[in-house]
Amino acid sequence: MSEILLRLRDLRKTYDEGLFKPKKEVLRGVSLEVRRGEVFGFLGPNGAGKTTTIKAITELIFPDSGEITIGGLPHSDLEAKRKIGFMPESPYFYNHLSGAEFLRFCADLLGMETAREEARVSELLEQVGLAGRGDDKLRTYSKGMLQRINLAQALLNRPELLILDEPMSGLDPIGRRDVRDIILAQSEAGTTIFFSSHIIPDVETICDRVAILIDGVIKAVGEVREIVAQEVDLYEVTFTGVDPERLKTGTVARRLGSDQAWVRVVAGHRDALIGEVTAAGGKLLSLTPVRSTLEEFLMRHYEEVRR
Amino acid sequence: MRAVYTIARNTFREAIRDRILYLFLGFAVLLIVSSKLFSMLTVGDETKIIKDLGLGAIQFFSMLISVMMSVMLVSREVENRTAFNILAKPVRRHSFILGKYFGLLAIIVANLLLMTAALLVIIFLYQGEIDLTIFTGAGMTFLEMAVLCAFAVLFAMVTKPILGSVLTLAVFVVGHMTQGIWLLTERLQDAVTRFIVAVVYYVLPNLERFNFKSELVHSLPIPAAAVWWAILYALIFTALALFLAWLKFREKDLL
Repeated sequence: MSEILLRLRDLRKTYDEGLFKPKKEVLRGVSLEVRRGEVFGFLGPNGAGKTTTIKAITELIFPDSGEITIGGLPHSDLEAKRKIGFMPESPYFYNHLSGAEFLRFCADLLGMETAREEARVSELLEQVGLAGRGDDKLRTYSKGMLQRINLAQALLNRPELLILDEPMSGLDPIGRRDVRDIILAQSEAGTTIFFSSHIIPDVETICDRVAILIDGVIKAVGEVREIVAQEVDLYEVTFTGVDPERLKTGTVARRLGSDQAWVRVVAGHRDALIGEVTAAGGKLLSLTPVRSTLEEFLMRHYEEVRR
Repeated sequence: MRAVYTIARNTFREAIRDRILYLFLGFAVLLIVSSKLFSMLTVGDETKIIKDLGLGAIQFFSMLISVMMSVMLVSREVENRTAFNILAKPVRRHSFILGKYFGLLAIIVANLLLMTAALLVIIFLYQGEIDLTIFTGAGMTFLEMAVLCAFAVLFAMVTKPILGSVLTLAVFVVGHMTQGIWLLTERLQDAVTRFIVAVVYYVLPNLERFNFKSELVHSLPIPAAAVWWAILYALIFTALALFLAWLKFREKDLL
């Protein structure tokens, strides 16, 4: 078994919402392990605690309890921080700097040798497709270009662990493909990648393993295939004579067409649904098993939390 | 140390690339230059009036620049989340505070040098000689601003940008009235109120300690001890304010 590069153990975090409001529990015992060399996807809906977890790893916030180690070192150790390259979610930049100046500023903060700095900055500008735009001010950059420069600064120190918070957000399809290619190239070069995302197809195609975080709790960890296989299949049921909105049996999705109703249920609810439809005088038209995908897996869990 | 220098340099660079700084500097130089005109409207020794007005303008605009720049460059960095990029790197939080502070100080020094040069030129044109005592006045303004900037950094760490600048301004105003506060403690009858007022007196810096304007204007000697005390006083208050800023920021969650 390969070495564990990033380990989170029982992370807990609550936020004060205000003077007279109850505290909000954002992380409720998050534990996970990322192995050296893997691409690890961190999935979850908005507000699940993904960014909070990432900010805890990068020491932007301080968890109430729990432990984080990077390469066996506590994450607050400067040596551990040197192993990380971090790309925050929305790029926040200094308008007064040019792209190259910004990268030089970051290289100085990383303590890079001045002699090596210039070559590395040009190399990265080239790599993220911003060669020739390095001297332009960041305020003139488009959102996609800012995302690229954001990625470039995370790669400056050739990190062992690359942490990306929603690297594809706000990018057009070409931008997404480019970012995905850079992630894959980094992975091939041996960098361990930990990234959060909403975009499930990206996660399915590039991740070795994923963790699913819902409501501050890890619901599943493993290879996408394993996670999906653990889940009970879904069924799509069509019928007439009953309003799907009035059904008591829990459904994943429902739609009432002009001549028939369509619902999607988990396998466990299949028989209950058929029973309820026929008892209410409805007529069953079809029953089709659906291959479970990661998206459906997530949707079911999201629905559960919402209920 | 390199992180402190890098952050300070970036802070300085951000300020000198901002038009607001030049606006302030323009007004300051205009006021210093026009002190010659004011001196014509007033009865008395014109050189003294030029010196008095010039030093006052230097102090006032340095204060305005400190308040403005601290909001723009420190509060905004935390508020706009550009600080994420710095603090996720191998940079300690105290390096961030020191970097920001020294960056502010560098801006103040650059502005002070320009304003002092303008005043020296005006006095030279009028008097025909270079009045080096002006540097003592500028030095004292520097010490005063060193304290004020440390408070500005502290307020940037504990509160929102606008409130931070209001509080920094309040320290400047009250800091010049502490002598009055002390007199108040002697006149107050009620022990509790007297205690509270005394606490205010000791907690806030007495910025009048850096005021040697009348000695400079009237060419009176300034005791060396007073200068040394002023330096020590500035160092103590600066260190205290920055330490409190660090205490607050050391484990602050950046949301």
